[in-house]
Amino acid sequence: MEDISLQVLKKQYLDTPIPKELDSRVEKAIKDGIAYRRKKKRILKRISIAAASIVVSAALLTIGVNSSPAFASALSKVPIVGGIVKVLTFREYSVDEERFKADIKVPQIEGLENKELENSLNEKYIAENKKLYEEFMAEMDKIREDEGGNLGVDSGYIVKTDTDRILSIGRYVVSVAASASTIFKYDTIDKKEGILITLPSLFKDDSYIDIISENIKSQMTERMEADEDLIYWVKTDGAEEDIGAFDKISANQNFYISEEGKLVISFDEYEVAPGYMGVQEFVIPTEVIADILVSNEYIK
Amino acid sequence: MASLNNKNLEEQIAEYAVKYKENYYRLAYSYVKNADDALDIVQESIYKAISSASSLKNPDYIKTWLYRIVVNTSLDFLRKPKKNVAFDEEILESHDFETVDTYGNFDLQKALDNLPEKYRTVVILRYFEDLKIDEIAEILNENFNTIKTRLYKSLEKLGIKLSYYEEV
Repeated sequence: MEDISLQVLKKQYLDTPIPKELDSRVEKAIKDGIAYRRKKKRILKRISIAAASIVVSAALLTIGVNSSPAFASALSKVPIVGGIVKVLTFREYSVDEERFKADIKVPQIEGLENKELENSLNEKYIAENKKLYEEFMAEMDKIREDEGGNLGVDSGYIVKTDTDRILSIGRYVVSVAASASTIFKYDTIDKKEGILITLPSLFKDDSYIDIISENIKSQMTERMEADEDLIYWVKTDGAEEDIGAFDKISANQNFYISEEGKLVISFDEYEVAPGYMGVQEFVIPTEVIADILVSNEYIK
Repeated sequence: MASLNNKNLEEQIAEYAVKYKENYYRLAYSYVKNADDALDIVQESIYKAISSASSLKNPDYIKTWLYRIVVNTSLDFLRKPKKNVAFDEEILESHDFETVDTYGNFDLQKALDNLPEKYRTVVILRYFEDLKIDEIAEILNENFNTIKTRLYKSLEKLGIKLSYYEEV
């Protein structure tokens, strides 16, 4: 535009001071918007999960976002190898370019007597990570063609518990595109018997779903009362029906068994709380579920 | 493992939001003339855009769609009765400062500020945000000729005469 007065006006317009908070406000808007979308999707998904729960796989999925400090420190925990059953890094894929970073470690379980279980888990791990790597490469090519953007993926595993009896492996995928997101999955194995432990298999009947859910809800309420910065999507007394509030765990909710033999229920980020809260874990006091446990073999 | 393959709409919107946040802020500021409200508008607009991402059918329109949300949110904001009119001193000062720093174009700036909102918006989008007429038409949900006419009128009201060979 040639006109000088328009140029002057434009300059003044472009000189509008930009407050420092703009960045954080934009970030918050994005997080909240994505949280809202995930929640909406999850409600739909839950219905289909309920229908498909006959296909009982012990691979339980947790989605989380953003590498919070707590999460990062959990990841840095060095895998402990105990007994003869070992978890090793079978293979590593990596990409290291300015805008594209990938580090994918594939775990491999060794030494289980039940070879069929061992093989099926290991095959699953390889297949998952291969897929992840392929998706990353495809995405990278796409971004390269378009003008810009960064892409990162960091995948690996942590041994949550390794006792004489129990092995709980958590596998994670942290991916960074416009925002970061994390997927977490656990497998818990009885090393002695060579079996995969599923959540329903721990209990006499399915009353565990309600009992555990109630306990978690009261823990959420307690945590919120103790610290007002914490938010869980839980129905509070007197509040109107809240669409999407946490109601029940799923029959195959993500879980692992801690070193102390406690049942730990884990939730995806956004599953029960806003994204900034990160992955949420709840230790279920054993006395709450004592009556319905099949035995005290695993949970103490 | 859903996280990688859906470089989906919401992420694309987020990328735009980050890339053009200052543009959205300036635009919002041009309506409300204070930093707090402009920040609120930007935040709300981006939240709206992402949480209703599925209503956007074609990712090619992200750019104009986001502008449209910012414009509409700003207008909603102006129409809403203000809850709190107490001015923060800092804002007042920054305002003072700006009116001094006008390079002697005080009147023109004032004339622009005094333009009815629909005329002012097209000037800002066309000349300050450098958008094309058809993009502005999309943002304001009007047809091409309406925008073109409105733009000529705005310039006329501002007393800006384009050389005869210049097109809006």
